[in-house]
Amino acid sequence: MTEIALKELLYKIADDQLILGHRNSEWTGLGPLLEEDIAFSSMAQDKVGQSHAFYAILHELGESEPDTIAFMRNADQFHNCQLVELPNGEYDFSLIRHFLFDHAELIRFQMLAESSYEPLSLLAKKLQGEVRYHVMHANTWIKQLGSATDESIKRLQGSLDFALPYALGIFELSPHESSLIDNKIFAGEDALKARWLESIEKVISETQLNLPDATVASPVLGGRTGLHTEHLQPLVEEMSEVFKIDPSADW
Amino acid sequence: MKSLDPRVNRLNLPDNWSSELEKEELDQLATYEVFVQPKEGKPYQHEGIVHASNEDMAFVFAKEQFSRRNTCTGLWVCATQNVMVSELTEAGKSVYEDVSDQNTSQSNGNDKFEVFHLLKRGKQHIHMGRVEAANYDEALIHAKAAFSEGKPALNVWIVKSGHIFHSTLEDVVIWHTLPEKKFRDAIAYKAMDKIKKFKEEQAAS
Amino acid sequence: MYGGGNTFEISQKDKSIQEDPEQLAAFEARIARGEKIEPTDWMPALYRKQLIRMIEQHGHSEIIGALPEGTWITRAPGFKRKLALMAKVQDEVGHAQLLYSAAETLGKPREQMINDLINGKSKYSNIFNYPAFTWADSCFISWLVDAGAIVNQLANSRGSYGPYCRALERICAEESFHLKYGHHCVIHMATGSAKQRQMMQEAIDRWWAPMMHFFGPSDKISTHTQVLMKWKVKMASNDDCRNQFLDMYVPKIWELGLTIPDPNLRKNDETGKWEYTEPDWEEFKRVINGDGPCNKERLAVRRVAEERGRWVRQALLKPQTKYVTPLA
Repeated sequence: MTEIALKELLYKIADDQLILGHRNSEWTGLGPLLEEDIAFSSMAQDKVGQSHAFYAILHELGESEPDTIAFMRNADQFHNCQLVELPNGEYDFSLIRHFLFDHAELIRFQMLAESSYEPLSLLAKKLQGEVRYHVMHANTWIKQLGSATDESIKRLQGSLDFALPYALGIFELSPHESSLIDNKIFAGEDALKARWLESIEKVISETQLNLPDATVASPVLGGRTGLHTEHLQPLVEEMSEVFKIDPSADW
Repeated sequence: MKSLDPRVNRLNLPDNWSSELEKEELDQLATYEVFVQPKEGKPYQHEGIVHASNEDMAFVFAKEQFSRRNTCTGLWVCATQNVMVSELTEAGKSVYEDVSDQNTSQSNGNDKFEVFHLLKRGKQHIHMGRVEAANYDEALIHAKAAFSEGKPALNVWIVKSGHIFHSTLEDVVIWHTLPEKKFRDAIAYKAMDKIKKFKEEQAAS
Repeated sequence: MYGGGNTFEISQKDKSIQEDPEQLAAFEARIARGEKIEPTDWMPALYRKQLIRMIEQHGHSEIIGALPEGTWITRAPGFKRKLALMAKVQDEVGHAQLLYSAAETLGKPREQMINDLINGKSKYSNIFNYPAFTWADSCFISWLVDAGAIVNQLANSRGSYGPYCRALERICAEESFHLKYGHHCVIHMATGSAKQRQMMQEAIDRWWAPMMHFFGPSDKISTHTQVLMKWKVKMASNDDCRNQFLDMYVPKIWELGLTIPDPNLRKNDETGKWEYTEPDWEEFKRVINGDGPCNKERLAVRRVAEERGRWVRQALLKPQTKYVTPLA
């Protein structure tokens, strides 16, 4: 059923954006440099705003209101990849995660701009400018820090080695891949992953970092089917703490 | 130290430090002057600075610091050290009064320079246009020829065009969704009817 | 956001500096006719020093001010509030950047200013030394503390120093959304469920005393700073600002059915001025000198952020780009 496939696709995209946007908003006021604090916060707002737009499409398809979807589910009902729920750690991890995720997001939106499902293609086209900036920002940082000092190179390499298996979890195959592909809703995770690898490799090759061999790395899967690390439940509880004081209230 | 902010608790703040924070001089980054074009067809105007390590970074910073509200169709950044600054005049006098007129024998100027004017103290420098010259002094002379009509320039900045890092045509799309971010507009927060309803309920009870 | 009122002690040494009388006269004439001073103008040493101090402290207030509201970013209820609070706190950080940049034009590097904040040498607005216990506390801050800051900022935006005025114009433009957002939040709390109303009332009860301290000590006990008023560095008296704030916002609080924990608070219809219980200025002094509930935490957060970010900044430094004083 294409509607089930479509909803699953929308949920995972929206959940990725909400959780990552939420994580990145934790840096607001605490960043390493004022200008970067400001930039990172803007991108976090973009992500949260994007998730809202995707939840809005889901609502049109009969799912609950965006606030309800975002603030009332338990961790095992979220479909984000595990990469985005991991704690922020130090800035090197957050930057690497931003780099790996946003390259995938940009390509995903480019692919979705061709979707046969019009609300999705329209939204993807509209958001491309935002994600173009996100990738520009990530590339600038990775290129700078990836070749600067021994410490910055070491830190980024360590985070890259750690994050890559989790990043591969972005492309966890859906049981409905063929339905999405055949109905031209989305050209599929494998196609996305291939383009993504090319894209990040190009930037990494301009630095002193090494991209671990993705064919050898073990992808960390499970997020798409509600299997999460121990970090997601506390995140979800924190996010919904005030909302749940009175879910029917107008805040 | 325990905080009310869960983010702060995750920082694991120590209760004490053994010494004061010492910062080495080196920590100070250079600055880049930022110019924004608010609308297609309007001149670029100076907005402020960002601290950054190079033009790429200055650009990504400037975009968020100086164009996250209002419209923006173009962004320029250039290192502060690359801006040549004229004197600041008194009593509304133009900088160009003390600049010689352009020699009719043209120079072999092959460099391009952008010229900015301050028209009023307290306001922002505005881009007037571009001249070709061999060096800054000559650029000032050519600027006089090109731009001294109109309101007097109280202060002139001149920057080599090559020193300006600017947004491209493809970049314009990064500002595409800016007008839709209504949650940052005062107008999205109207609640007069809520107050009215509340007052009516209070009066009734 | 900035409350003012705690910057203007002028030392004997400062008072005794002899400035060139001709330059001084021209400088004062410029200010008297409403013209702005720009970075390359001649200016008295005291003017430069006091401005650096004032603008720098305003910048510190913004970056520290981001912390009590920031407490609630990850817990904001619903998309609308989540996005708005993220944007608002981001703006505070942005304001700090704008203000430090303006102070830099006077010759003090930003990293030195940050250093002085963390080491306790520079002050920031005292109100941020109090904790934001609940979501309603963040609503109070977003509305009323911002309202107070706007009263100050509007006054200062008519000051004499160009870069500071330009920064304030930008800040005031962004603050309009902050104020409306804050008021919107409080309205919803006050007109919402019984739980919401109670949370909001308790927040007001907690924050009223710090808010009365916000504009600084009463004019009666403040040191007089004629020269700073003449030079349009200090633009309005503490009591005037406080009165303006009360006049604009107490009625708005009362119309929501919320009470203010001061039985003496009322407008004197004859004088047009608001009367209130004299705030405890000893408490103010105690807190601003380090003994408030959150002073230690606020500076600890700044220090940790600075230290954790050090490797990042080190990786950004380029020996070939020289730091020069910003232009405007």
